[in-house]
Amino acid sequence: MRRITVTSLAVVLTFGLILAALAGAQQAAPPPSWKQGQPANLADSTLAPIAQPPAPAALADLHVEKIKVPPGFKVSLWAHGINNARVMVWGAKGTLFVSSRVAGNVYAVIDKDGQRQVKTIATGLNLPNGVAFKDGTLYVAEVSRITKMVGIEDKLDNPPAMEMVYDTLPKDLPHGWKYLAFGPDGKLYFNIGAPCNICMPPDTHANISRVNPDGTGFEYYARGVRNSVGFDWHPVTKDFYFATHGRDWLGDEAPSDRLDVAPQKGMNFGFPYCHQGDMLDPEFGKGHACAEFVPPLLKTGPHVAGNGVQFYTGSMFPSEYKNRIFLTQRGSWNRNKKIGYRVMMVTLGSGGAPKYEVFAEGWLQGEEIWGRPVYTQIMKDGSLLVSDDYAGAIYRIAYQP
Amino acid sequence: MRGQSPRTERQEVGDRNRKDAGKHLRQCPGRLMRAPHAVAAVSSRVFLLIAVVGVLTAGTGAATAADLQAGRRKAEPCAACHGADGNASIAGTPSLAGQPIYFTHWQLIKFRDGRRKDQQMSPVAKDLSDADMADLAAFYQAQVPRGRTATLEPARIAAGAKLADFHHCSSCHRPGFTGQQQAARLAGQDYDYLLKLLRGFKAKTASDLDGTMTIAAQPLSDEDIVNLVQYISSLGATP
Repeated sequence: MRRITVTSLAVVLTFGLILAALAGAQQAAPPPSWKQGQPANLADSTLAPIAQPPAPAALADLHVEKIKVPPGFKVSLWAHGINNARVMVWGAKGTLFVSSRVAGNVYAVIDKDGQRQVKTIATGLNLPNGVAFKDGTLYVAEVSRITKMVGIEDKLDNPPAMEMVYDTLPKDLPHGWKYLAFGPDGKLYFNIGAPCNICMPPDTHANISRVNPDGTGFEYYARGVRNSVGFDWHPVTKDFYFATHGRDWLGDEAPSDRLDVAPQKGMNFGFPYCHQGDMLDPEFGKGHACAEFVPPLLKTGPHVAGNGVQFYTGSMFPSEYKNRIFLTQRGSWNRNKKIGYRVMMVTLGSGGAPKYEVFAEGWLQGEEIWGRPVYTQIMKDGSLLVSDDYAGAIYRIAYQP
Repeated sequence: MRGQSPRTERQEVGDRNRKDAGKHLRQCPGRLMRAPHAVAAVSSRVFLLIAVVGVLTAGTGAATAADLQAGRRKAEPCAACHGADGNASIAGTPSLAGQPIYFTHWQLIKFRDGRRKDQQMSPVAKDLSDADMADLAAFYQAQVPRGRTATLEPARIAAGAKLADFHHCSSCHRPGFTGQQQAARLAGQDYDYLLKLLRGFKAKTASDLDGTMTIAAQPLSDEDIVNLVQYISSLGATP
């Protein structure tokens, strides 16, 4: 009798499991990550991410003359032929290290006698967007690991092996590429993005994290951050400033991307519950209030895709530029009228809203793009380099009144 | 790790590539995405004709013709497996005819740097220059896909059609699965190859540019994969 009961129970359980599996199979399947969260009324939308060309643009297609800057500034082409050029960081001996994303490469650009020579120092990497340099060592962040190349600047033609620093990061590819930078505390900071457009992320995602350069002391620094691939520290206050890409598929005008400040560890910036500081998510916002979370310092515009964040600490530009933030916007795809594709500048005031103005634009002509600015880097002479991952080029903006 | 190609070569490569890329963008069948299925299918056929005519017309010019002719010459060693015109006949070997330039070029880059691995392709791609890849991609895009043979079952085709709709396949691969930019043309592709690749994406072992296909394949059962491949194979080269 007892045995029969157990058997019947097993049958019932098995049947139940089959039913559950069938029910599961009938649930809506996840769409491609970039399309996920798209409401039914936008299902016919033709918007899709802009494809990355497999090769850098020809010289004739680099329309440097179309880049507009404030009076007194001058733009020139500094380097080209760098497939998918992204983050730029200086080595101690004057080498500019340049990362890429889908190209999987890391480059070294040598500036010699007014000529730029490009060497590919690593290939076949997994979206190696993050590069940081300290004490002769280049650190590279891929999707799930951080590695280092010790003494790289002396071995550009025969790069050293990539040694592991930290390799237990999530392997998710959506928003899996990282920005990497050394904080004033000597720790390596990087993002772990939400593995989706909009979802309830696992506890391990949608944050900014930090780890010691020897791989110890991993901790979350900020939470509720959908995906930040650009940040910097205020030269005076040392506060942490970062840009975040807002979610897609809530229309052309919302939500806004954001620029935030996180002066201390442990703050929550609202994802996935609240966007742009004052807009509850139609699905995940239920039962929450935006007041639970830290609002943005600045709404930077819908879908603008703010990447690079850099305080100007050079000496070439007029004095009012000192400690201004250059915010580089790679530009929209999830918007019927394109927006972004420019370098903005943010002037922080004592109290009141920051001043937010265009510094360089022209990569977008009408609805056509010929380039996508992604990051900036300050040269020794105080001029500003701007990388373009779409055209595989680096521009230099100098003040020459 | 790879050495760096001389600067002059890189520059020339960039020039050529972008020219081809631009051409592709202008002619991309993806631009017809709002068209109903049947119209899109006809249009893509027209697109292919335009592409071929365009190439022939440009044959008297210098740069474009050189690219394509160079591509044709460089593709000669590939013919044994992929067919002289990019239409393969060996089961499990993909046809390359009509593949978008971005797609072929990115795959070759990945074979060269090891992100995509294959017994035959990895050694072949190892020594290709960026210019080789651009020429090859341009050559294959200009070839007319002929389609492959497969044994199909109507019930599976019908099930696959529903799955394709359900999983948004055409949002990247375009209505008619003619491909666009970095997304592969699936129409007219080899049955065994599609099966192998889709199973690879499900197993997270197939190389993926940015993770899109790996994510897309996760909810699929093997039964789903077979049905999808049956449906795609039923479309022929110019659905």
